[in-house]
Amino acid sequence: MNRRNLALLLLLGCIFVPQMQAQIKHVEMRVEGMT
Amino acid sequence: MKQHLQRQSGVANVDVSLIDGKVEIVPKEDGKIDPTQLLRATYDSGVSVAELDMIARGKIVKDSAGGLALQVTPSQSFVIAPNELSNELQQLADSATFVTIRGQLYKKPEGKRKPDTSASLKLGILEVQKKE
Repeated sequence: MNRRNLALLLLLGCIFVPQMQAQIKHVEMRVEGMT
Repeated sequence: MKQHLQRQSGVANVDVSLIDGKVEIVPKEDGKIDPTQLLRATYDSGVSVAELDMIARGKIVKDSAGGLALQVTPSQSFVIAPNELSNELQQLADSATFVTIRGQLYKKPEGKRKPDTSASLKLGILEVQKKE
């Protein structure tokens, strides 16, 4: 792999990886009337 | 109710505790989970939701009204209800910093049985766990 492709890969990684890490991690509900 | 919730998109696992009335929902790693749908699905299964809390990681952005919002994906964000903790996040608005927040998206109004899921949910910040 030449340097240009490697730089492109790193750039795409910087753009997309943080977006993928942003997310709802956990949801908790307190409910009433459950039997 | 557990089956209702497990059918919702983005849900990996649902854990129900009958003793204390707690329902824990684990989202899929790459899935987009919609808290409004979770509220609707719970109500449709005949159970009333008293509170809905969540932990989410995202960026702080300014919404069209000038308030703060937590953007978890380009198409999903939650308007932040102003409080002492949200004031700390003002400086991070529209920056590249990611924050992990524990917050409350829904609390049942007194004396009201059916949740108003048509209204957009506001995120009341309970704890800022991480800034990175």
